[in-house]
Order: sequence, then C-alpha cells, then structure tokens
Amino acid sequence: MRSNRWLLLVAAVVAALALGAAGCGGDDDDAAGDTGEAEPAAEQVLRINIGSEPPSLDPTLATDNISSFVLSQIQDGLVSLDETGEVVSELAETWDEEGNVVTFHLREDGMWTNGEPLTANDFVYAWKRILDPEIAAEYAYQLLGIEGASEYNGCTPAGSAKCAALADQVGVRAVDDYTLEVTLTSEQPWFVSQTSHQSFFPVPQATVEEFGDTWTEPANIVTSGPFQLTEWSHDESLTLEKWDEWREADSVTLTRVEARMISDPVTALQAFENGEIDACLDNNCEPPQEIDRLKETDTWFVVPNLATYYYGFNLENIPDVNQRKAMALAIDRTVIVENVTKAGEIPATNMTPEGVPGFDVLRQDYLPATADLEQAQALMEQVQSPKTDITLFYNNAPGHREIAVAIQSMWQEIGLNVDIKQQEWAQFLEFIGPPPDNAVDVFRLGWLGDFVEAFNFLELWMCDSGNNSTGYCSEEYDALINEARATPDDDARYELYRQAEEILFAEDGDFPIIPIYWYTTSYMHATTVEGWTPNIIAQYDLTKVSINN
Amino acid sequence: MTAFVLRRILWTIPVVILVILLTFAMMKAIPGNPFRRSDRPIPESIQRNLNAKFHLDDPWYQQYALYVKGVFTFDLGPSMVLRGRTTNQIVKDNFPTSIELGLLAFAWAILIGVPAGILAALRPNSIFDYAAMFFSNIGFAVPSFLVATLLIYFVSVKAGWVPTSGWGEGWQPDSRKILPSLALSLVPMAYFARLVRASMLETMQQDYIRTAKAKGLRWRRVVGVHVMRNSLIPAITAAGPLLGYIITGSFIIELIFAIPGIGTYYVTAVEGRDYSVVMGLTVILSVIIIIANLVVDILHGFLDPRIREQSA
Amino acid sequence: MGADEPSTAGAPIRQASLWRDAWWRYVRNKGAVAAGVIFILIVLYAVFAPIFSPYDPNKVDFALAYISPNLEHPFGTDQFGRDLFTRTALGGRVSILIGIGAALFILVIGTAYGALSGFVGGKLDDAMMRFLDALYGLPYLPFAIIALQIAPSVNAFTMMLALSIASWFTAARIVRGQIISLKQNDYVRAAHAVGARWQRILFRHLLPNTLGILIIVMFLELPGVILGEAFLSFIGLGINPPDASWGSMAQEGRDAYRVYPWIIIIPSVFIATLVLCANFIADGARDALDPRTRE
Repeated sequence: MRSNRWLLLVAAVVAALALGAAGCGGDDDDAAGDTGEAEPAAEQVLRINIGSEPPSLDPTLATDNISSFVLSQIQDGLVSLDETGEVVSELAETWDEEGNVVTFHLREDGMWTNGEPLTANDFVYAWKRILDPEIAAEYAYQLLGIEGASEYNGCTPAGSAKCAALADQVGVRAVDDYTLEVTLTSEQPWFVSQTSHQSFFPVPQATVEEFGDTWTEPANIVTSGPFQLTEWSHDESLTLEKWDEWREADSVTLTRVEARMISDPVTALQAFENGEIDACLDNNCEPPQEIDRLKETDTWFVVPNLATYYYGFNLENIPDVNQRKAMALAIDRTVIVENVTKAGEIPATNMTPEGVPGFDVLRQDYLPATADLEQAQALMEQVQSPKTDITLFYNNAPGHREIAVAIQSMWQEIGLNVDIKQQEWAQFLEFIGPPPDNAVDVFRLGWLGDFVEAFNFLELWMCDSGNNSTGYCSEEYDALINEARATPDDDARYELYRQAEEILFAEDGDFPIIPIYWYTTSYMHATTVEGWTPNIIAQYDLTKVSINN
Repeated sequence: MTAFVLRRILWTIPVVILVILLTFAMMKAIPGNPFRRSDRPIPESIQRNLNAKFHLDDPWYQQYALYVKGVFTFDLGPSMVLRGRTTNQIVKDNFPTSIELGLLAFAWAILIGVPAGILAALRPNSIFDYAAMFFSNIGFAVPSFLVATLLIYFVSVKAGWVPTSGWGEGWQPDSRKILPSLALSLVPMAYFARLVRASMLETMQQDYIRTAKAKGLRWRRVVGVHVMRNSLIPAITAAGPLLGYIITGSFIIELIFAIPGIGTYYVTAVEGRDYSVVMGLTVILSVIIIIANLVVDILHGFLDPRIREQSA
Repeated sequence: MGADEPSTAGAPIRQASLWRDAWWRYVRNKGAVAAGVIFILIVLYAVFAPIFSPYDPNKVDFALAYISPNLEHPFGTDQFGRDLFTRTALGGRVSILIGIGAALFILVIGTAYGALSGFVGGKLDDAMMRFLDALYGLPYLPFAIIALQIAPSVNAFTMMLALSIASWFTAARIVRGQIISLKQNDYVRAAHAVGARWQRILFRHLLPNTLGILIIVMFLELPGVILGEAFLSFIGLGINPPDASWGSMAQEGRDAYRVYPWIIIIPSVFIATLVLCANFIADGARDALDPRTRE
C-alpha cells in the first residue's frame, strides 16, 4: 500500500516535469560561434537584445537611446551620419546653406508605408509639433536654433490663440512639396548634421490625428524607413520586418529583426552565450565583472564613442582651485580604464573627446594619463583651508560604483576622506540640479555628444547652461563660446575651442570638472553577424547587417 | 455565517482606502521629477506645461480625491514616463504574466510540498522524513537569487535542457516557464511540507484518531478522511502570507529570467518616479492580497466552525 | 502555566522559575542548541574578525584582484583586491544589525498595536483586529522600495525602517493573542479585583510575561528581514559602498559567478546559515516556553 502511493507520487512529479519540458520550447538555433567562409545564410533573421522597453516610438516624444535605435531603423530623416560621423543624405538629396538660411531639396520618391508620398509638409508638421508647448516635448531644445522656436515653445498658456500665432512665426516652411526652407537664429555650421537626430524626423500627420496616443502601435503606425514595426509585445520584445517598398530595399539583406528586452546583463549574457541572441545593443550583455573574460572572445568589439566621463565639483564647497587641481592630478586615469572600465577607454585630458573635427588643435596636455601624486600633494599644501571630508554622489548604473570606489581610494592618498553616496537616477538629478544641493561636493556625470562638434561639449560650461551643475561662471569663457558660435570659418573656430579648453584645463586652468576618460562603445555580436557596428555616436544601421553561415 | 462574511467584506473598504492614501503619501514624499530623464534640465515653460497636464500643481487633497475616484472607476491614469500608454494598459499587458508565474509556483509548491509533508508525517523519523525536512529548511533559507542563478547554470547552460530566460505566450505550455516557477516555488513548497507534516502529526495523536485506529478502522481511510481534512486547514491559512511571499519573490525572479511581468516593471516605475503607475500597481497588489485574505478567511470559517464562533 | 511554588501576585518570582524551566527545556533540544552556538559564532566572527584582520577592507589594489580562497585569504578577494574574509565579517555586521534592528522595530510596532488591542478588548479590539485581518499578508516589498526612495541615501537605519513598515502584522497578532490569554489568568483577575490600576497590571504583569513570546517573534521575523535586505540589495537599492552587506556582496558577486563563484556563494551561505539558525532558535524557544506544543 505505502509503496504504491510513493510510486504514484514519483510518477506524478516526473510526468509533470516531462510535460512541462515537452511544451513548445523557445527557439534554440545555434547561431553563435560559427567560423568558416562568409556565405550568406538562407534565413536572414537577426535576434538582438535592446535592453529594455522603448518608452516611446513617437519621434516627438522619444528621448532615450533605445527608442532612438528603433526609430532610426524604421524612420528616415533628412540626413544621417555614416560610420565616421560624416553626413550622408537620406530624404534630403541636396541642401544649400546661405548665411542663416538652410534649404533642403527633398527626393521626390520618398514614401510612407501607407502609400502616401513624403513631402516637406511632413517635416514642417513634425517640427512644429515637437515645439508645441501643449505637448511639452523634452527634446524640443534640439530645435531651439531655429528662429522663433524658443518663443513658440515657451509660450503660455499652451493652446491659446497667442501660441497658435507664434507657431506660424517659427522659421521653417515648405516652399513647395519637395523644398524645405529653414531660417536659423544665426549661422550654425553644424545644423545639417544635427538634423540626423530623431527630433527632426518627419511625422505622418493624418495617422497621428486619427489614432492619437496609440498611433505608434504596430497596427496603426506609419513610417518611411527600411524596416517596419510589425509586432510589439510590451516589456518583452518587438519585431521589425523589411519594408520591400523602401527606396533602396534591394540593398537590405536582413528580412526580420527580433528584439528582446532583457535588462539584466547577466541574463542577457547567458542568452547570448547560449545562442538565443545574435547581437547586443552597446554593452547591455556585459556585466562589468565579466569584461575581462569577454575581451578574449571573438564576439566582443569596441569602437570610439563621442562622449566624456567626468567628475564635477560644486565650486561653492570647493572654492580653492589648487585643491581641485590636486584632486584631478591624484586620479590615475590609466588604472581606471585598465582595471575598472576595461573597454579600451582613453584617459581624458580635456572636455572635448577625440573624434571631433579640430581635436588636434584643441587638445590639452596638462593632465597626465597616470597620477602625479607629488604635484598633487604639493598643491594640497598650498590650499588655505582644504575641505578634507568630501561627499561624492553618483547614480546607480553599472560601473559607476567601481570607479567611485577606486577614486575614493586614490583621494585618500592626498589626505581626503571620501564618503560615497549612491542614488538612483531621478533622485540624483534632483540633487545635482543645477544648482546642486549643498551636500554635494563632487558628482559624477557623462556627456554624450548630440552632434559631432566640440561646441556641443564646450557650451556646457557657460554661465547659464542648464547642464552646468558646478556653479562655474567665467565671462571670458562665455565670450569665447559665443564667438565660436558665430564663426563659420573652421580653423578660426577650432582656435577658439582651444582657448576655451585652455581656460579650463591648462596648468593655470580653472578646473570646474575633472575629465576622466573618453568613452568607447563596446558591443557584442556572434561571428555569423556582419555589419553590426555602431558609429561614433553609437548609432547602428540595420541596412548594413547580414547573417552568414 | 452571512453576518461574518458581510462584516469582513465591509472592513475591506476602509483598508483599501487607507492603502491608497499611504501609497499616495509615500510617492509624493519621494523627491525627484518624473519628467527629467536625462541630465539636461527641462526648460521652465515645458515643466509648467507638463505639470499642468498631469495635475501635479493641484493641491494634494485634490490630487488624492482625483486618484481615489479613478481607482473606484478602474481608471488608473496615464503613465508619466511611457507617454502614450496608460496604467490600465500596462496592467493589462503585464499582470497576467505575473499571475501565471505565481500560479505555476503555487502549483509546484502544492504538487511537491504537500505529498512530501504527508509522507514525512506517515513515516516520522525515517530517512525520508529527515531528508524532506532538511530540504525544506534549505528551501526556506537560501536566497532565491542564488537558487535561480544556480538553476539556470546547471539546467540551462550546462545541460541545455531549457533556454536561459524569457517567457512564452500567456497560458501556453512553454519550457521557459519551468525554471522561474520552480525557483519561486521553493519557499512555499518548504512551508507546505513542514506545515502539513506538523499538522498531520498533531492530528494523528488526537484521541479520536487513536480511538478509530484502536477500533480497527482501516488506516488508509482514517488517514485519508479524518487526518487529511483536519490537517489541511492550517495549510489554507498559510495561503495568505504565502501569496505575499510569491509577489515579493516574483520581483527578483522576473528580473533574473527577463519575464515581462509586474515585478521588474515596479522597480523601474519607482525609479522613474512614474507616480500613477506605481500607485496603480501598489493598489492593485494590495487589493489582490486583501481579497485573497478575505476568501481564505471565509473558507476557513466554513471549514472550522470554531473560527466563526470566535468572531461572533 | 504551572507554578511550582506558592506565590502572591508577584510577577518576578514566577518569571524566575519559568525562565529556569524554559532554559532547561531549551538546552535539551540539540538542534536548538547547535543553532544557538552557530548563531553566536557568526556574530563573534562579524564583530571580531575585522578587528584582528591584517587587511584594510577598503583598500583598492588591482594586483590582488580575484584571488581564489587560499591560506592568506580564506575567502579570496574581490574585483578590487579587497580581502573577502574581512569584508564578509563587516558585511555581517551590517546585515545582522539591520536584521536585529528591523526585527526590533517590528516588535515595537507590533507590540504596541497588539498590546493595545488585547488589553483594551471589546469593541476597540474587534475593530483593530478586523483592520489587521484586512492588512494581513500585504507584501512588504513595494512599500520598502518606495520608502527607500524617499530617503536621501540608503544606510542601515533607513533599511531598518523600510523593512519594518509593512512587516509587523504577524507580531501584532501574536502579542495580542498572548495578552488576551494572560488577561484571563487568576492572578491578573485577582489584581484587577483588588483594584490595581491598569498601568500596573499592564506593565508589571502582562508585558513581562510576554517577554518570552517577544523573543520568539524576534527570531521568527529575523529570517524575513535578512532575506528582505538581501532582496533589496539585489534590486540595486542596497547599502552605499564601500560599506557592504551580505546582500549587496551577493549582488556584486552574481555578475562574475561563472568565473569567480565564491563571491556570490560565500555571502549567500552566510545568509542561509543565519536564517536557518534563527528558525531553529525560534522553534526551540517556542518549545521551551510552551511545553504543550512539544510532541
């Protein structure tokens, strides 16, 4: 009797396990780790991890890099940037720049997926929509270089007749169906390259008006790029499929892209190494502690990224420039990039990273790549009343804690007690303002370039910049930047950049921040995948990707 | 009996309102701006417009009233972070997945835990008993993130039996659902095993059982009918807190296995200061627990007349 | 409760004999004794190991990174080259402190609620218990997460608060049950009949006799809060570095578990051991203090 029941129990458990295991399994292709001749595979399906749910696929509302990635595959802009960051034409065939007026001549075969032609009006609609104060789009600031834009965008009360009138005065209009004329507030040599950003993408007016908030759902969405959004299972995955009527559809090899949203890098790496994923967006498959091992594999790659990682000072709390310089010199940047971040980053010597035009002219060389403890200690002795108890704030994304711990130990060498405070993003942003909370002595930040020009990095340190949490304000510096903004001649402009960097980071510089390293983008893909390579501002182009056997 | 049920139900309403108030107060106390997501600050005019759009400038009692009204009309408001989606949509998309995960975990726990407890009670101090109690203690104590990580390592990576992460279609059999539900089930499983065992042992020592055995009634019938029924009552009472454990545990499991449920979403929403989503999810979770308790209590009242008398 | 000696309404004498009896019963329970010993050993390790350790637990030295456990570093080193034997002890201080602190908070809140409800009785008790019934089983995690976000930074104290906000319901119920059963005792009735004021009854008779139950509840809640702290650290809401708790160490270790498994396994084993010990101690204490539950 008893043995029967026991047997029954065991049988039941085994049966349950077997049933579950026999159920439809996940796809288990082994696409990772195949070497051999580069022969295109029969099935051109790419499975990637994009890391998390894109908050919005509406070009007007999208702000993060995941939405950015998806949008750039399903939508065309006026222009785009190639692997080296150079401007290539997309919907705009040619363009003329005369003073502060830029005229784009659009191609006449541009089309939406619903068959409607894509005209200059779609751009006018989109650009006014992102500036619309009622929508309150966070990235409206990208368009504030257009005449009349800030007046319209800042208009209150939103939705009134006064604002509608201001909308008409924004400097963008469709001269005819295929000619877009833009009037800027001043000459801006980088404006055309800026229009590669998704905030400048066209938006289908009829679709938005018909579906409102749900216009980006796969059933409703209308786009104009090489791929279409065919499925979107929120928080889980989305699917892109090649649009056969795209103007250059013949050059696109991939037929389908399945994008999963795995936020935990350990889980993502497991999926990648198990052959469930072929490629990862940036480093979302790289837990920081595994980087050493991953670097040795043939699936890990790295390219430069136009971004700077820095520690900012709260100048009110650390007013003595000698202390700031000492703290800068005490940091061994080489140790950090070799032992902590380990992805081939470059120790930084000034704010603007390598890769911008004119970099060779503006780079500084006062900050060494390793530490200079002697000099740092000498400088500390010159400080009248040094602040020896330092509170360092950072946000709790992977990697920052390790760097903070390392730097904490380095600053101990010059006699500073560092208290590290970790906060999550929203709270951290509150604390650093500007103006920063007075508990903040040092804070960590990074700046990713919006467009490939030193200006984007240097304008941060102007007196009224909303991104300047240091409290640094120098008339001389502001004057230089303002002059650069109005200088169309490249060489003259680079010289102005150099002078600006000198004010900040030369031997007698002001050091409102400590530049630590210039980013790289590390990413992973299986050996069967070709063309999955980000450009200098971490953009990927799926039209260049193909799968081999 | 009906008085009992009615009274219990009536008490649920003020509790739900209190939970909403508590969550509301706590969310409002968190510093941070839901709209500032990058380190670029938001121009004042845009901030003003956003605040107006989401009623963030209204006095707190107005916001609270608006929200309570929303809850009772099942409208949980728009998401401030995922613009274009509402809390209701998010709940509709993700909640069933979490429920399915929880139910599967419960099923494992009952399927394995209850028989283990029964058998351990029928053979006290045997090897099986010691083994069962040993494993149940382990199940309690080892943190679930370690268990999950080890399971993935040995079952998925090394043996290759199932994929490492993900979740399939809702309510369809899928091999990816085994590991996460198993990992989540270990604590309830251990709990059931111990509880059933202890309760059965206690019951079997009762006089009326001993009498039945002495009278010569077939042991199987005695155990099957009397012992089981009386032993399972405590197991039902445990169901309430266990549900709470499953909800808590699912946060971690969903994160590790990349499951599109409510758990991971919750953490992201709190971090992003998505007020309406956080409040909506907390309210829903709490209401579910409260209702589950209600059901359990009523069930308990049915099965055990002593309870009904106590509360009269 | 059997009284061996004749007594007046003098609580102290009762307590002495009760405690002595309980102690003897506890000591005869081998499992509970072993658990108690291990618990104390762990606490001693956490308190004293860092004091006697030759290593600086916060010093970063990349040349010493990731050493597997050996004689010099019994638990190996982590990615910064810090000795893990010392750090695990320090982490133990934090985890145990948070565990006991949170358990105490739970006890205080639960006792206040339960004692009030049980002592006053009647309609208030009814209302308070109905209320509690409805709250029972609310998951602590969502509220803990929100609470941690309110605090400007996470330290041991905020952790204790966050973990105890929504975890005190069981404790309240147990304390109330105890108070109610005590209220019906002869000596309490006698004190009441004689005209003793309610404060005297509550504070001199009822609460001291609840001490046993409180100890049990404390060890019952300890596993929950220790695991809770580990969970919160795992989600990323843990203690600020360079301080660590077992939970935050385990989370750091998970990244590299395939190549350096000891970094996640060691703190997890400590968590599991402490939790197990707490369970056994609670069982042993319960058996010792209330012989009716013994088999």
